[in-house]
Amino acid sequence: MGYLKDERPTTIGVEGGWNLGAYHYKGSRLLEEYVAGLKHKKLTGSFCPGCARVIVPPRNLCGRCHRKMDGRKTVSDRGTITCFVVSPPIYKGKLKVLGMDPVEIGLVKDGQVVIPVFVKFDGSDSNTDTVLLNADPKDVHIGMRVKVVWAKELQGSLADVEGVEPI
Amino acid sequence: MKRRNVAVIGCGQTKHSSRRRDVNVAEMVSEAVYNALEDAQVSAREVDAFVVGNMPGFGGVAQPEQWIAESLGAAGKPVLRIATGGTTGGSVGQGGYYVVASGLHDMVVAVAWEKHSDSKEAGATTGLLHVGLGNFFHAAGYGLSLKNLVATSVVGAAAGVAVYQAMFYMHRSGCGIEHFDMVAAKARRNAAKNKYAHLQWPGCTAEDIAKTDIVTYPFRYGHICPASDGASAIVVAEESLARKKAKQPAWFKGLASYTDEENQLQSENFGGVGVTDPSEQRGCWLSAVKAYRMAGIVDPKTEIDVAEIYQPFPSQELFFAERLGLFDEGTAWMALETGETEIEGRMPLDPSGGVNATNAIGSSAMQRILECALQIMGKAEEHQVPKKVRNALAHGWGGVTNYSTVTVLGDTPGR
Amino acid sequence: MRRRVAIVGYAQSHHQHNMQKTREDMVFEVCKGALRHAGISREDLDTVITASTDFLDGRTISSVFVGMAAGAFLKDESKVEEDGTFALYYALMRVLAGTHDIALVEAHTQGSTMNAHQVSCFTLDPQFDRQIGVLNDIAAAALQARMYMNSHGVTDEHLAMVAVKNLSNAAANPWAHRKMAKVSVEEVLGSKVLCDPVRELMMSPVSDGACAVIIASEEKAREITSKPVWIEGVGSCQEAYIRDRDLGRLESLKTAARTAYKMAGIKEPAADLDVVELSEKFAHEELMAYESLGLCREGEGKRLIEKGTTGKEGKIPVNPSGGALGADPVCATGLVRVIEAAKQIRGEAEGCQVPKVRRALAHGQFGMCAQKNMVFVLGGNGS
Ligand SMILES: [Zn+2]
Repeated sequence: MGYLKDERPTTIGVEGGWNLGAYHYKGSRLLEEYVAGLKHKKLTGSFCPGCARVIVPPRNLCGRCHRKMDGRKTVSDRGTITCFVVSPPIYKGKLKVLGMDPVEIGLVKDGQVVIPVFVKFDGSDSNTDTVLLNADPKDVHIGMRVKVVWAKELQGSLADVEGVEPI
Repeated sequence: MKRRNVAVIGCGQTKHSSRRRDVNVAEMVSEAVYNALEDAQVSAREVDAFVVGNMPGFGGVAQPEQWIAESLGAAGKPVLRIATGGTTGGSVGQGGYYVVASGLHDMVVAVAWEKHSDSKEAGATTGLLHVGLGNFFHAAGYGLSLKNLVATSVVGAAAGVAVYQAMFYMHRSGCGIEHFDMVAAKARRNAAKNKYAHLQWPGCTAEDIAKTDIVTYPFRYGHICPASDGASAIVVAEESLARKKAKQPAWFKGLASYTDEENQLQSENFGGVGVTDPSEQRGCWLSAVKAYRMAGIVDPKTEIDVAEIYQPFPSQELFFAERLGLFDEGTAWMALETGETEIEGRMPLDPSGGVNATNAIGSSAMQRILECALQIMGKAEEHQVPKKVRNALAHGWGGVTNYSTVTVLGDTPGR
Repeated sequence: MRRRVAIVGYAQSHHQHNMQKTREDMVFEVCKGALRHAGISREDLDTVITASTDFLDGRTISSVFVGMAAGAFLKDESKVEEDGTFALYYALMRVLAGTHDIALVEAHTQGSTMNAHQVSCFTLDPQFDRQIGVLNDIAAAALQARMYMNSHGVTDEHLAMVAVKNLSNAAANPWAHRKMAKVSVEEVLGSKVLCDPVRELMMSPVSDGACAVIIASEEKAREITSKPVWIEGVGSCQEAYIRDRDLGRLESLKTAARTAYKMAGIKEPAADLDVVELSEKFAHEELMAYESLGLCREGEGKRLIEKGTTGKEGKIPVNPSGGALGADPVCATGLVRVIEAAKQIRGEAEGCQVPKVRRALAHGQFGMCAQKNMVFVLGGNGS
């Protein structure tokens, strides 16, 4: 499509790397509280005493008030879809996740459609991104009411929320 | 306090294409710098200082201006390095303004670039992935399911947050995917008139774009910007030098770069974010308000003659045009339908083809300023808009959708 | 300068190895601290400039997740990708331009995220030096030290004396990282040889740390504080790549200092300056800086350290805070020097205080062998 410049043979390629494993980040312990709540089917958000916003998952700072969001509030596991994306069917050999083929390792079925969504859980002021399950792609719309699909065995991990499904 | 009058007096860019294997970074960047110096008719010796920037993750060189100092002609001079992600070029251009406006220097070169092809894996691996890498590994430690990652990859691989933005905008304004086809076709058509642009397609129509496959609804292959190699540079000078060197300098009249709360990719350490509509873009709106106030522009709809909007994805041209006050809320797509945003239209948007046709990330927002300067100076050649350009608007966008740069250039320095 | 600009508030973190704080918290605390020190709130800020690099932070667009912590929510914001003094330079220019009045400058690095010496390899020419794999910033500094020592008869002991001075000064600085009150020349010489003649104690430690500075135009500064620290002069210069320049001198520092002196009206730096804060990443750089800053003639740097002229009680104290050898949170290091210099002028330097400071110099650098340099001359109300 369009104009592409021909490669000119006047230079050579020089190999170089950027070692991804070399970093050692410092993480906060906020997610510990969040996943501890998930184990009891509770969605924990941080509450800002300055502007009264509730953010899920908990967030450390409120930029608007320039202060710590040190309050906590549990929000409902029901909410509203504020945005969605319907993926094209995922076929074997089409997509790589961390260098692996999601179809090959059994994460999705061959030809499956994935629907990432933003959900505003009742009582929260933020979008939480997750996936929509048990729904026909044709029915998805902004404003659709959904609830969390909890994992069969709750382990206190982010994987406890499998996604959301229509109510 | 009276502000110093500052103008762009020369513009230089390189040919943009997907692989500039004929040059290395040093050669590519100096190509743009020397083109700008030639355009301004000044020698490297007359330049007091440099402002530079790119996104180091893509080229894999840290602080590249140190290695390429000699090639730029920057050795022995003050060099300021500014890097703000997608807005890098806009921030560098604005940096050029402030260096001169401060009175510390009288003439500077501001140059921004990207050489995507230096990254062996398509930019995303080392560059964009690193934006959220720390957050991702953090969440992985708390059992982030790989299934969720598939979802992220589906969206992220193609267009990332732009998909969500487009969905929000379509829902709000009632525009459809066919309007994105029209914007993309216009970008490729306009690019064909711009000899430096990357994806050129003379006479491209919305039907041509509509024939390409859907990547992730609502985007087709034909909607998506390329990854380009390229650099762009401007020479910025104070009033007396500007008047001496340039027949028609492009004066900086107003500028701002407001930042909003981060969205989408979570906040640091995987916390949530409070921005619920990524196409809301309050930062852009506030930047525009301040830039217009500085420029003395009351009604941007009539006073802005041409705008260069940062639109890697066609939806962005539409909602940013509204955010910048060029059209009423939810109406930009109607103006598109009537041809108002064509080169010959009432409000030409991206006559150069914009980022949708050429995206060398660090350089992209700089190109917007540069293209506006060209329109004011009357040097845009084939894509010159056929009317007198008094005020031109240059926009940049980036970060995790929270950075904006807005610059108003004009044919006279004052209000 | 087009208008007078003053430093009106500042804060820094306790620089240390592997700080038990996230980057976000660290940045938030210094920014909040600086606002508190100035007695203003986030709403008063017109602009925010941060300094950090993508490579050191391990994040592309590294400023993007700390903007809120820095108080930049819906503020005119930008990021400089190098030492914090360059961010101060940019903020200063924004205030001088007359477009902004109050600016917050923030700089940070957590050296524990990625080995800063490893990052330095990524600044090398990717087609030659990086391929050969011989150089990193330590090796390059060793070459520079040897060149300088050879041409001016400087010995290992001279370098050790610089380290002894700075590390023992750092012991009195509550914010410093490497504090060694009783360190001796023998101990420095006996520390691990990293790359001859550079020994472990002659090189700055890699610290986690951040700092923030608030500057304001004259009108605003007088409203905010009774003790403004005026920016009287500023100069900056970058020289050519390490293979294209004379490593044996710091020409760019000389140029930067000359510019700043001219602006501040300084004719005889040794007499006009009361205290100097340097970003010496290696001990020999301090001696070279003495000469480039005009504190002594070329080649005489060693005399200053021999005679104790630059000691805390000397005629022209250099690095009473301990300098970069005392703590080196890479991007924050230069801005910490500015804070230390301002503290001296305001008489807030606690254990590091030098008597009667009216004028101080703060230096920041970035790049291998101090390729880029920035010099600020600061003055109190009386100067
Ligand atoms: Zn709040």
